[in-house]
Amino acid sequence: MKSRYLVAVPAALALALAGCGGSTGTSGGSTDTGSAAAGAPTDDSKCADAAVLCIGLVTDTGKVDDKSFNQSAHEGAKAAAEQLKGYYKYIETQDAKDYAANMQQFTNKKYDVVVTVGFLMTDATAAAAKASPDTKFIGVDQGYDATKVTEKNITGLVFPEDQAGYGAGYLAGLMTKTNQLGQVLGLEIPPVQKYAKGFEAGAKAANPSVKVSTVYHPAGDNAFNDPVWGAGEARKMLAQKADIIFGAGGNTGNGALQEVAKNSGAGKSVFCIGVDTDQWDTVPAAQPCLITSAEKLISKGVTDTITTASKGAFEGLQTLGQAGLSDYHDFDATIPADVKTKVADIVKQMEAGTLKTGVTL
Amino acid sequence: MAAWFTKNRTTLAIGLAVLVAAYVFYYAKHDIAPSMYGAAWGYAIPLVLAALVGVIGERSGVVNIGIEGQMLLAAFAGFFGAAYSGSMIVGILAGVGTGLIAGGFLALTTVRWRMDQIIAGVVLNIIATGITSFYLKSGEILPGVIPNVDVPYLSEIPLLGETFFGGRSAIALVAIAAAVIVHLALFHTRWGLRTRAAGEYPSAADTAGINVERLRIVNVTIAGSLAGLAGLYLSMDASASFERGITAGRGFLALAIMIMGAWRPLRALVMALFFGFINAVASQLQQTGGFNVPPQLTGTLPYVATLIVLAVAAGRVRGPAAAGQPYVKKDQ
Repeated sequence: MKSRYLVAVPAALALALAGCGGSTGTSGGSTDTGSAAAGAPTDDSKCADAAVLCIGLVTDTGKVDDKSFNQSAHEGAKAAAEQLKGYYKYIETQDAKDYAANMQQFTNKKYDVVVTVGFLMTDATAAAAKASPDTKFIGVDQGYDATKVTEKNITGLVFPEDQAGYGAGYLAGLMTKTNQLGQVLGLEIPPVQKYAKGFEAGAKAANPSVKVSTVYHPAGDNAFNDPVWGAGEARKMLAQKADIIFGAGGNTGNGALQEVAKNSGAGKSVFCIGVDTDQWDTVPAAQPCLITSAEKLISKGVTDTITTASKGAFEGLQTLGQAGLSDYHDFDATIPADVKTKVADIVKQMEAGTLKTGVTL
Repeated sequence: MAAWFTKNRTTLAIGLAVLVAAYVFYYAKHDIAPSMYGAAWGYAIPLVLAALVGVIGERSGVVNIGIEGQMLLAAFAGFFGAAYSGSMIVGILAGVGTGLIAGGFLALTTVRWRMDQIIAGVVLNIIATGITSFYLKSGEILPGVIPNVDVPYLSEIPLLGETFFGGRSAIALVAIAAAVIVHLALFHTRWGLRTRAAGEYPSAADTAGINVERLRIVNVTIAGSLAGLAGLYLSMDASASFERGITAGRGFLALAIMIMGAWRPLRALVMALFFGFINAVASQLQQTGGFNVPPQLTGTLPYVATLIVLAVAAGRVRGPAAAGQPYVKKDQ
């Protein structure tokens, strides 16, 4: 009996870990799928040829249909392949240990551009760029240390999440009636922190008496994939009089949005704000409360950066993408006109660079 | 009655102390305490249901490592059953039914075919993860919500009533009822005596004329319905979506809670609440700030608390002696 638990508990834990974080639990290998635009190469056998553009994408431990950043990057890379008549193939990473191996599948075949998605792949991408100088690497959400990464074939595509968060926070600060806002967040990593700190700074700038409650998901493995936890936290915040919840953390944040949407005051006295993409489209269940999303234009950023890479050198070690607020959709009429004007003004000032969010990590 | 009080005086004293402390906190910090108790119970609901699955299984002699998989399958079937049929009732039936089928699978493989119980459970988990990931379709939404039930009068009692009898769906009430019913059934009925006999000393039970194999199969299968309920609570009630790995290890956590609860339904309920409350404290610490504790550290709080409880209080408990061993009739 006792010894059975000795076997069972590690086995169970291993399975729990494998089951989380979006992997499917099949331990080895990763799925890969290729696609080609009309008039483009149909397989990757000629990638070594300079005239043939081959684009590879490695996801973080998530899928290309995750309604969040993996999906956006995937769509951006696919669009680039179609525009540039290149060949595109992606690999979905099942386990963080496979990052290097998955990139190597592309570099072995002499792919021209490899896109890696997610902050967690930062070090693996830098190492791969060093090992394969002929391939260009684009790391989405990855910031490199300029003293350590000196290669010219790599760029980190980063977004001013703090600006998107600031805009959303400014809107929330003007909209709140209870002066209580809540943030339900995924893992505490720089892109998420920038959203969160930007949101808080924006809210306080709009309304100095506002209080912002912030929770990050504590566990590392399924921090972006725990909607039940997110919903529970949102419920708790609503009970503590928060009236606008910012859900930023993949499916965890989506859980928070859906919980707010289920509240009896959804869309009237309580609201929610989504993240990364326009979640009006990606999380339809959140529509009753979703006033806007703090959006980063990952797809466009990836397409643009691949285009740059196919023409020549990168802008630098970091490439700056765009971020902002998405459409108000059905809440366009609910949000007072003066609030909309003020928010639009703030967003313009940030884009022009005259307003700094003051967020430092 | 007096004998009962004497026998349980430690439990009663601790229970009373906890209750008084809970009420003191409730009135002293009325701005945050009610919502924290609510969060604790919300976190505990699936754990209670899942822990009961473990309790029934092990009390009858079957170790159920596959609760996680049962929940995952049920969460999947419930959500998509409701989304495609357009009816929440169909979804709930599909979820509970799937739990039963998964329970039946486990029962047949381990009891009838005497497969190693740990391996059967792990297989169930792997199958569940695979199937639910493969057939997952994103963008589906539920046709409605499971309505909240406020029990008249009971839900107006401060703290206990408003936490347990108000603002939650019927699944929460079922979880409480199930814990009480399983407790009464296990310790005060003929079925309970037979079940415990099959889990402790199956050959003696067999000699007394109990069909151990049939009892185990029926128990593990029926318990599957509770796992089904726990799963559909996750995808249809606590959140309104199905995601890969939505159970996030709660099935395994439930096993720990079963052990912390000394294989007793009501104690498991209390332990699940304790665990949920520590979770609520952890997130409240983050939320209110003040202490600048990194979330990774506050996040370990529930697990540290679990370790302490297991070491101090539960160190002496012992599981059913025959759990994990397939019963083979000697004369066969």
